[in-house]
Amino acid sequence: MSEKPSVLVIGGGIAGIQASLDLAGRGFQVYVLEETPTIGGRMAQLDKTFPTMDCSICILAPKMMECFRHPNIKLLTYSELKEIKGSVGNFRVKILQKPRYVDGTKCTGCGTCAEHCPVEVPNEFDMELGMRKAIYMPMPQAVPRCMTLDKENCIDCKLCTKMCRAGAVDFQQEPQDVNLKVGAIIIATGFNQYDPSEIVEYGYKKNKNVLTALEFERWVCASGPVAGHLLRPADGGIPKRIAFIQCVGSRGTKFGAPFCSSVCCMYATKEALIIREHAPDVQVHIFYNELRAFGKGFHEFVNRARTEYGVNYIRSRPGEIKEDPRTKSLTIWYDDTFTREIKSLNDVDLVVLCPALLPRESNRKLAGIMGIELDECGFFKVVHPLLAPVDTTVPGIYVCGYCQSPKDIPDSVAQASAAAARAAEALTLVQVQRTE
Amino acid sequence: MAELQIEKPRIGVFVCHCGINIGGVVNVPQVVKYAQTLPDVAYAEGNIYTCSAEGIDSIKRAIKEHSLNRVVVASCTPRTHEPLFRGACVDAGVNPYLFELANIREQCSWVHMREPTKATEKAKDIVRMAAARASFLMPQQESEVPVETTALVIGGGISGITSALCLANQGFKVYLIEKEPELGGMLRKIYKLYPTDEDASKVLHASVEAVMSHKNISVLTSTTTKAVNGYIGNFEVTVLKNAQEHKFKAGTVIIATGAVEFRPTNMYGYDKYDRVLTQVDLEQVLKSGKAAVDKFFKPQTVAMIQCVGAREEKPPRSYCSRLCCMVAVKNAMLLREWYPSSEVYIIYQDMQTYGKDYEDHHRKAREAGIRFINYTKENPPQVAPLPNDRLKLTVYHALLGEKRELNCDLIVLSTPLVQQEGAKELSKILKVPLGQDEFFLEAHVKLRPVDFATDGIYVCGTAHGPKDIGEAISQAYAVSSRAAGPMANRKVRTEAITAVVDKERCIGCRMCENLCPFGAHRVEEGKSTVIEALCKGCGVCAAACMRRAISMKHFTDDQIMAEIKTAFIMEAPKPPASSNLEGGT
Amino acid sequence: MADQFEPRILGFLCNWCSYAGADLAGVSRISYPTNIRIIRTMCSGRVDPLHVLEALRQGIDGVLVTGCHIGDCHYITGNQACEKRVKFLKDTLDQIGIDSRRLRLEWVSASEGGKFARVVKEFIEEIRQLGPSPLRKEILESASQ
Repeated sequence: MSEKPSVLVIGGGIAGIQASLDLAGRGFQVYVLEETPTIGGRMAQLDKTFPTMDCSICILAPKMMECFRHPNIKLLTYSELKEIKGSVGNFRVKILQKPRYVDGTKCTGCGTCAEHCPVEVPNEFDMELGMRKAIYMPMPQAVPRCMTLDKENCIDCKLCTKMCRAGAVDFQQEPQDVNLKVGAIIIATGFNQYDPSEIVEYGYKKNKNVLTALEFERWVCASGPVAGHLLRPADGGIPKRIAFIQCVGSRGTKFGAPFCSSVCCMYATKEALIIREHAPDVQVHIFYNELRAFGKGFHEFVNRARTEYGVNYIRSRPGEIKEDPRTKSLTIWYDDTFTREIKSLNDVDLVVLCPALLPRESNRKLAGIMGIELDECGFFKVVHPLLAPVDTTVPGIYVCGYCQSPKDIPDSVAQASAAAARAAEALTLVQVQRTE
Repeated sequence: MAELQIEKPRIGVFVCHCGINIGGVVNVPQVVKYAQTLPDVAYAEGNIYTCSAEGIDSIKRAIKEHSLNRVVVASCTPRTHEPLFRGACVDAGVNPYLFELANIREQCSWVHMREPTKATEKAKDIVRMAAARASFLMPQQESEVPVETTALVIGGGISGITSALCLANQGFKVYLIEKEPELGGMLRKIYKLYPTDEDASKVLHASVEAVMSHKNISVLTSTTTKAVNGYIGNFEVTVLKNAQEHKFKAGTVIIATGAVEFRPTNMYGYDKYDRVLTQVDLEQVLKSGKAAVDKFFKPQTVAMIQCVGAREEKPPRSYCSRLCCMVAVKNAMLLREWYPSSEVYIIYQDMQTYGKDYEDHHRKAREAGIRFINYTKENPPQVAPLPNDRLKLTVYHALLGEKRELNCDLIVLSTPLVQQEGAKELSKILKVPLGQDEFFLEAHVKLRPVDFATDGIYVCGTAHGPKDIGEAISQAYAVSSRAAGPMANRKVRTEAITAVVDKERCIGCRMCENLCPFGAHRVEEGKSTVIEALCKGCGVCAAACMRRAISMKHFTDDQIMAEIKTAFIMEAPKPPASSNLEGGT
Repeated sequence: MADQFEPRILGFLCNWCSYAGADLAGVSRISYPTNIRIIRTMCSGRVDPLHVLEALRQGIDGVLVTGCHIGDCHYITGNQACEKRVKFLKDTLDQIGIDSRRLRLEWVSASEGGKFARVVKEFIEEIRQLGPSPLRKEILESASQ
């Protein structure tokens, strides 16, 4: 057991990273538990961020590297939480580190193994729009920079072992039990997209030119499956008209979730601007309900999109997207609420559905392990939504970011620091109690 | 370290593609080739993402393999990435001040996207300048300064109180100052809180009690900030309480000065008619209790107009004030509860009832019969007087396409939160910026929402921008974490960039002493000395010294001249008539 | 000659405000011509009259000095010192026969990406009208002797 107070952070996205850096910076030992092979989370998947239009990975990567290099931070990626016992000041945590079958101390991330691997599998990081090999790195800026072998899809040909010059492939690796003693826990598990397949009128998955928002981010990202070239997914054609549909599975429809995901109006505007910057001759239409641009600089951002960039906002919830079976182009049927007419937008090359962003299903299991509560929407419940917004119902366990309630990156970062403060407060109290 | 001064520079140049951000415009391989031809450049390579783990490793490897003692990375802005690459240099045994970042993205590829050939030539020039400067770079040592474990929290509203308590609970001493005679800020004016339906005054009372009784917190009411000198870890604070000065030291400063409601003078008859109130006016009325309100009036028809004085064409009030829609729904439901037979209308542009709880409340309000009328900016509602103090509200219902007329007993205007006068003064005292919206401007809108570019000063709550109580409290906890960092470590590393006086050349004219706003020059016995701990590295003294006796570390004349001379390819200049244009070291 | 003349502009940008403003122009993808090269200093007050003179002596056609708006200087009064120096320099330049319009002082804040781009564009055009620096011709002439 270390002398330093220690904290477990569950989730290696921007919120988890911020909380870790705050705590590590003041001398706490931090363990970051991340289920995928790399930290970075959703922010790493984005092309740009609103309203500054910063390149997302460009501002995130230095923080990821800082986490990796920090002497007080230990990254436990590709790992699962098994058990938590104890109480604030003395949580005993059991973690299972899944085997990567690659020795992290030897792997240089050169990618030769992946070059020779014969198995291709949809790449989760690219929202399955692109492929990866059975031995892979999810993204070019992955931290830690180490290959991972997906045993489920591996065919055991052992070509990777043969080709690896560093001798880093190790099929003998076993799952590792990691037992930790920590004083506090911070949960930052983020979100998943609602799957709009059940809204058959929109034809998601059936119509190839219909993508979800995260899919579109990967599509248009320079490091994504088509190197950021703006193309129609169905046939690689050049799009001339792109439409966004807001509130898919959000806000009191019979599908999805009743709440507002808070960020979709803004990210749709952002993606619209990405398109207009990429290709100024492409028309962009955004079908919205209420235009939610309430944060710092947001309203001005949307105005800029409207006036300077010519993005067309249509107040409507479209009823149907029809695909032309020959051209694969789409027609959107909608009810324009300002003119009260039924209209159609024809020859749409690409439709981006902006779905509800939901707390992860796995939060349920996590809550069970820790004895904390979820609310009726699946977000982690806090002691008081105003006065104790990051305290869960168990002392010593805190929550921040989207998994607490829908919010954007700045609010997630602030809440992450807030959770770090509460953890530090609790551990100071525990220390005081121990010495008394 | 002295050997490096005589050692011949061996510069490594790393040119980044940054995916297609740079590589899509600038011909990176050409720039790499060009870099190889530059004087003192021993090695050059291109990277896809120099800031990635692979890129960093490549730099470290090259330093070792090619015995590099200077590093130039040509990529994005040093404002975000300099620390990262400096860290890589340190890891590989090169002093971090022997690193130079050439900005070929924000200041080249991104602003010359349609001129790839010219952008490539410019990138070469930029790399040439950086390499020329790098030849003259010297190793520098950072120093550490001790940090006072005391925080100054300016503003005794709920944000200030929350951060004061959090810091005090971590063992730090806190001075909490408040300009009013009482703590509480905006919460003192609010009736009930959503979603818990608690009395704001009860919540406030509990927090105020906690802060007044905490042994680590000194509360000073009727107190304003007069001056804050010094820097992180060592702020010298002077406050004014009832015309008396109090001085103390602080390690960190937290701004929690809140915001005020915009008064909609001359809008919708606000000053003309008694029955036109703002939301905060309404909260005060509600606080007086139902019996008191009944005596005032029994509203049959109430209309609330959103976005009054907000979301305007031009700054400062071009923003959405975030919480007015939530407040309107809350108060509309409250009025309905008290007067179940009343009709309450919310006249809105876009209902900003975001997230979980607010969306829920919005839906419940519609189900409860609160009426929502959509209006557009081009067609705002009109207010006209009626007999018996009533008011006629005429609004074009944009969704139904028809004009509606409401005879109202009460009209409530939802106006934005705006920055307060005192804060503008404070921004000058602390040297922290305000944005176009006049709220405090943070270091980075996405990733550093509660920091300032100046170390040791932080901001939280509505002083940063409109937000609800839960969000303000999250930010208040956030600044506690940020401020606790340097105070918990009891020290902080400071920049190595300071002024140096060549005592032989100095004639003690006191020009520097008079010019320096930080008091970092002290002339004694006819010579000036620099007090390193106070020097902020601005270089104003160096440019002023008539004897050229002052040099700025890391921004020496040699280094700047090298950049000037290599900015464009010129023929060799005529040698100057007099001997030495370049003074200092 | 006038069609071929591409002004060479040197910009001194202060770290806290104008350099950030120029970065913002980049982040916002606001285009401006490639004629400018940038030198970063911590404060506009660091810009020494001899730096400006050296730039002109090198044959640079225009020097743009930028800093924080008065009252916003990160080092409190640095930009005020800069303002005084630029005034003095302009008088000196006129005195020695170099058009003082070749030296321009602008305040650009960290949020004024658009302004930075606009100022650069305007200054380039102004210098284009003024023509190449007289020192530039001399360099070329002396080289050909």
